[in-house]
Amino acid sequence: MDETVAEFIKRTILKIPMNELTTILKAWDFLSENQLQTVNFRQRKESVVQHLIHLCEEKRASISDAALLDIIYMQFHQHQKVWEVFQMSKGPGEDVDLFDMKQFKNSFKKILQRALKNALTIASKHHQIVKMDLRSRYLDSLKAIVFKQYNQTFETHNSTTPLQERSLGLDINMDSRIIHENIVEKERVQRITQETFGDYPQPQLEFAQYKLETKFKSGLNGSILAEREEPLRCLIKFSSPHLLEALKSLAPAGIADAPLSPLLTCIPNKRMNYFKIRDK
Amino acid sequence: MDSYSAPESTPSASSRPEDYFIGATPLQKRLESVRKQSSFILTPPRRKIPQCSQLQEDVDPQKVAFLLHKQWTLYSLTPLYKFSYSNLKEYSRLLNAFIVAEKQKGLAVEVGEDFNIKIVSKSQLPSENREGKVLWTGWFCCVFGDSLLETVSEDFTCLPLFLANGAESNTAIIGTWFQKTFDCYFSPLAINAFNLSWMAAMWTACKMDHYVATTEFLWSVPCSPQSLDISFAIHPEDAKALWDSVHKTPGEVTQEEVDLFMDCLYSHFHRHFKIHLSATRLVRVSTSVASAHTDGKIKILCHKYLIGVLAYLTELAIFQIE
Repeated sequence: MDETVAEFIKRTILKIPMNELTTILKAWDFLSENQLQTVNFRQRKESVVQHLIHLCEEKRASISDAALLDIIYMQFHQHQKVWEVFQMSKGPGEDVDLFDMKQFKNSFKKILQRALKNALTIASKHHQIVKMDLRSRYLDSLKAIVFKQYNQTFETHNSTTPLQERSLGLDINMDSRIIHENIVEKERVQRITQETFGDYPQPQLEFAQYKLETKFKSGLNGSILAEREEPLRCLIKFSSPHLLEALKSLAPAGIADAPLSPLLTCIPNKRMNYFKIRDK
Repeated sequence: MDSYSAPESTPSASSRPEDYFIGATPLQKRLESVRKQSSFILTPPRRKIPQCSQLQEDVDPQKVAFLLHKQWTLYSLTPLYKFSYSNLKEYSRLLNAFIVAEKQKGLAVEVGEDFNIKIVSKSQLPSENREGKVLWTGWFCCVFGDSLLETVSEDFTCLPLFLANGAESNTAIIGTWFQKTFDCYFSPLAINAFNLSWMAAMWTACKMDHYVATTEFLWSVPCSPQSLDISFAIHPEDAKALWDSVHKTPGEVTQEEVDLFMDCLYSHFHRHFKIHLSATRLVRVSTSVASAHTDGKIKILCHKYLIGVLAYLTELAIFQIE
């Protein structure tokens, strides 16, 4: 086993709190049950780590295994890193082609390799320093280095307009405080609508009917029909050449709240359009 | 084949507005203030709920049966110049001749080859058993529109509300003749959401022995690209119960009560569907008394409240003429 790999694993394990160690090692699934049973986890941490490294050497851990352990540690401690989200989009006129995971991975790898090379080139001044720098970075987390470089590359490619404003087509010359309040609510509505209905075309449906037998509960004036035990007998009918598309447009238009009532959003899932609703 | 047009004369002197209305309608107040050249003050509108006991003797169910359960298209009509009830026969003759002439010109006329138009007044209304099929009916009417009468000179006859049933092409030809002959003007009477709400509340308030129809509202939602219609039907007893709970002033309907009644319906709907009906357009209301559509279509179902319905429609027609 390469000494750098050993160092990498050692530093990763040292970061893991003792109470999480067995859980993470089990999730890593590299060391066998038998091997783990030989370890006395009640020792001082340094001793535990040394024993674990020895076991990794027995099994000839590779850099991939070390990286995997790091990723698993990261999953348990996501809050210790700052994550940034990137939206991938096609430019106007470009075709939307099917997503090929394998091809994506290959392209991504190549970009990372290039970025890393550039990082090394930029960072290098003295051979020794470079090596040491690389070593420490390498041990901390390969991912972190690459992503830092990755951010910079992408930031120069994209325009400087914030993503939200671009997608909503708003005029950014207005008072930014006013825009921001509106954007937040509009975005929330768009997001919820999208989550509810999806991006694909809705199944064609022309009407939905609800037979309601529910008591009247007034928010405005508590005295209205307060003594009435019987429910209001109502029949509600929605009709449209394309009902689901119409319902989808209600919240963005401000006519309905988001999220829309489950009585309406359940229509495609339940494949029903006749409902009887009663008070529980 | 016979077809009839029957202008209704104004009701007899016994049905004076003061007998039936306590408190002026906003229209009457407006006319009064214009005449007095005083400043206009907006007061909350109130209307008396139609009381069937006072009106029943004026309405003979047999005579008005032909008016019920038919869809009427509404128009407002400006006062007729030099119209006389004693010339009805002459007018019938002239109208028939006019239609024949239009047909010869090549204008499309719905009535068949052998037709006859009669202009009759209220006392001469045909009974239901007459032979022959009625193709088209139109009637001119004015119920409690005395305020308008007071503002025009003697030469004019005020029949501001016109109702037509039958092919629209016939309505057009007959309307043209009246406009030419009496220098008047027909205008389709649209009913906006505000007035539809009033109608719904007033008609829900009417006391009924039994209900012949469910109470129903229809909204049109302005969403694109597809239109959406929402129909809300409520059992008439439940609608009445809701109204009774909202209603506070005996014998009158106030704006606040109408608003609250509608808000209750909006709120009940929103609780279930999270949709704000108030942001959509009310296009139709339907009760056991009558139903009305925003395009100016009406159907009267109950003879007991016929006068009340006509009175409200007359008011809307007068408002449009103003």
